[in-house]
Amino acid sequence: MSYIGRLFRMKDPFDLTGSERLFLNAVRENCGFQYQNCPEYRKILDGEGFHPDMLREYSDIERLPFIPTLFLKKHRMYSMPQRKMLIRATSSGTSGAFSDIGFEAGGLLCGLNMVLTIARRWRLLSPIPCNYVVMGYRRHKSSNAAAAKTAYGYTLFAPALSRTYALKYSDGKFSPDIDGVINAIVRHSRSRFPLRFIGFPSYTYFVMKLMEERGISVKLPKRSLIMLGGGWKQFYKQQADKQEFYALAKRVLGISEDCIIEAYGAVEHPILYCDCKNHHFHVPVYSRVVIRDVHTLKPVPNGTPGLVNLVTPMIKATPILSVMTDDLGIMHDGAECGCGINSPYFEIIGRVGLHDIKTCAAGASELLSAAVSGGEVQK
Amino acid sequence: MILAGGKIYETSEQPRLLDSLAGEISRTRQTLSLDPEKVINAADKLGKRAAAGEFSGMISEFLPDFPQEYLRLAGEYLNGESLRFRLKQELGEYPAACRTIAPPYGLESAEVRLLPLGTLFHIAAGNMDGLPAFSVLEGLLTGNVNTLKLPQADNGITVEILRRLIEIEPEISPFVYVFDTPSTDVPAMKRMAEVSDGIVVWGGDEAVRAVRALAPPGAKLIEWGHKLGFAYISGYEDKPAELSALAKHIIDTRQLLCSSCQTIFIDAEDMEEIRAFCREFLPYLEAAAHEAPVNDIGAAAEITLRKYSARLEEHIGAEKSGREEFRGERCSLTACPDSRLELSYMYGSCLVKPLPREQIVTALRECAGNLQTVGLLCRRESRGELTDILAAAGVNRIMRAGNMSVSFCGEAHDGEYPLRRYVRVVNVEK
Repeated sequence: MSYIGRLFRMKDPFDLTGSERLFLNAVRENCGFQYQNCPEYRKILDGEGFHPDMLREYSDIERLPFIPTLFLKKHRMYSMPQRKMLIRATSSGTSGAFSDIGFEAGGLLCGLNMVLTIARRWRLLSPIPCNYVVMGYRRHKSSNAAAAKTAYGYTLFAPALSRTYALKYSDGKFSPDIDGVINAIVRHSRSRFPLRFIGFPSYTYFVMKLMEERGISVKLPKRSLIMLGGGWKQFYKQQADKQEFYALAKRVLGISEDCIIEAYGAVEHPILYCDCKNHHFHVPVYSRVVIRDVHTLKPVPNGTPGLVNLVTPMIKATPILSVMTDDLGIMHDGAECGCGINSPYFEIIGRVGLHDIKTCAAGASELLSAAVSGGEVQK
Repeated sequence: MILAGGKIYETSEQPRLLDSLAGEISRTRQTLSLDPEKVINAADKLGKRAAAGEFSGMISEFLPDFPQEYLRLAGEYLNGESLRFRLKQELGEYPAACRTIAPPYGLESAEVRLLPLGTLFHIAAGNMDGLPAFSVLEGLLTGNVNTLKLPQADNGITVEILRRLIEIEPEISPFVYVFDTPSTDVPAMKRMAEVSDGIVVWGGDEAVRAVRALAPPGAKLIEWGHKLGFAYISGYEDKPAELSALAKHIIDTRQLLCSSCQTIFIDAEDMEEIRAFCREFLPYLEAAAHEAPVNDIGAAAEITLRKYSARLEEHIGAEKSGREEFRGERCSLTACPDSRLELSYMYGSCLVKPLPREQIVTALRECAGNLQTVGLLCRRESRGELTDILAAAGVNRIMRAGNMSVSFCGEAHDGEYPLRRYVRVVNVEK
């Protein structure tokens, strides 16, 4: 079996030290494949003066040129023909541009092993059927949006009795149906079966806040869960304090903090990070996270904020071996957490951008272009 | 928050207030006029109170990062003496300018009056704190009724400034309407545009296009667009001093202003000279960056990523641009073989390009609409000639290296006197 396959079958998903050799070999295997099969990737490595053979030591992984997600949104790059890609997924593309990532069978199998290992460890797999409320949109034939696929995937961890979606698709666009969601919550709270929420933190927070304003509070059945994903990023400014979020969930839904699980991931880096009981994202054996200096792009020591660079050899069809996100984060020593997982954990503290910067030279005029396109949630 | 007739209303009252807007404005214009002297006195008082620190609490609440320098500039701007100087400079005797003329043919005598345009609708981008209020103040100085749509990024300071102004001079109140309408509410913006004679828009090409789409055919569009600044170097009077000043300007303005230097043109043809300049200037830039480091890591990261992506693009591109980056600590210079004026990556990352003086007009022609400020570094004996060439190319402000973003009282804005655009000439037969 390939190094990559073996990496994703490791029993202990947090044995980082034990997986170093295997991880390096898997990265070299993937890098060699991309270099051979993706002309653009090869040009990038050549241009940066790097060759897959230079991956000799574990620490060489940090020297591997990374591709910004921003770059993937502008340039489609693949290492396999279309027919070998079982799935195509696109990022949410809030700004209009989105990346389109192809996944081949081998990579998806790795992903499945990973999801099962993590889901088992987090006790997300359950034979008890439950009702799902998805704070996102239903999968739709005309869309490859990964958010919808991931959310749907989550509804497979336990048999589904029902699925209610917060965003409804009609006439070519999505519009929120908040009342429908609140009605479903109230209805399912009387059920014998657990309720699982899945979706963006911001939407979930918004619904709970609305319920509180309307004086609606329920006690959800035992084993109910809130599964948050998709990040807080678009709503970074209004980012609800997490403690307030947990307190609100307790008041309005009767769900305690340990039943709220947050996941981090991206189309360009399909690794499932679930937060531990102290709400930290520990790095699993499947990936490595390098925080880089915002000026020099050199790796920074733990505790220093920087750009979040994610490395995983999972996928071969698209050169997403090492990607640079738009996120700013800090890495911490695993021991600082105290949850029992010893691998280091990272914290997302914000996003790159000139959002608050009032620039006149660059033209701060997006506001008005939004006026022309209208304010609905576009597909 | 909405400000109308001197009173503050909740955002939810917008539909009702919009319904009565046309009627109220007509009533104001039929029965009232605004004396510029009253506006000047109110602005002067407001400026003095601000300078005395009366609003420090308010400013730290709304604008935690507000540079104290701005407060001094605002004080100078609002000063009665400078406002009177501006009015005179831009409009001559106003509003008393009711001149009688005796034209050579036709009527024997006619009267010429300079009057307010009528109602101005200001659409301000959030590119500078307090700018929307200053835009309205210019409208008031010329006696116009002003409707303002706040930029999304406004933090409440605009309404507060205007409310205080009205508090000092209540006669201003029927001349000011401020709405916090989001830009997505096109119908509401259309209604504001419909009651206007002039639409003042601050912003880039996209903003201007959007406003043109919603403006009624008869309205006069007054556009204050985005501009690009550059430096032109053809020798020096005092090289170290001038290069230090230019570096300090680039770093201190973060290259965010219309007048900020984005590209440095060198009076040369040979790329080796361009590279030599980069090597020589980089330490100056580093020293300035060391003095005033960028603390916003989100912005710094964004710029770093953009530069890195551009490098990758260069790798996969079929054509090589021939650009060469000279990386310094927290700053960079890019030697480019072309002579096009271009926006840099900002935050201490300047482009350096060859532009022999014989080709200045040709090279700048294609961005004539975006020209504004040049920082001119040259030998004393060439200054006159180069000034004339740059002016002929369409540049409106020709400054010294370090003063590219320095403004003075009564100066033109993008080649025009703003107040002149807010008035019209009325002829009356005697």
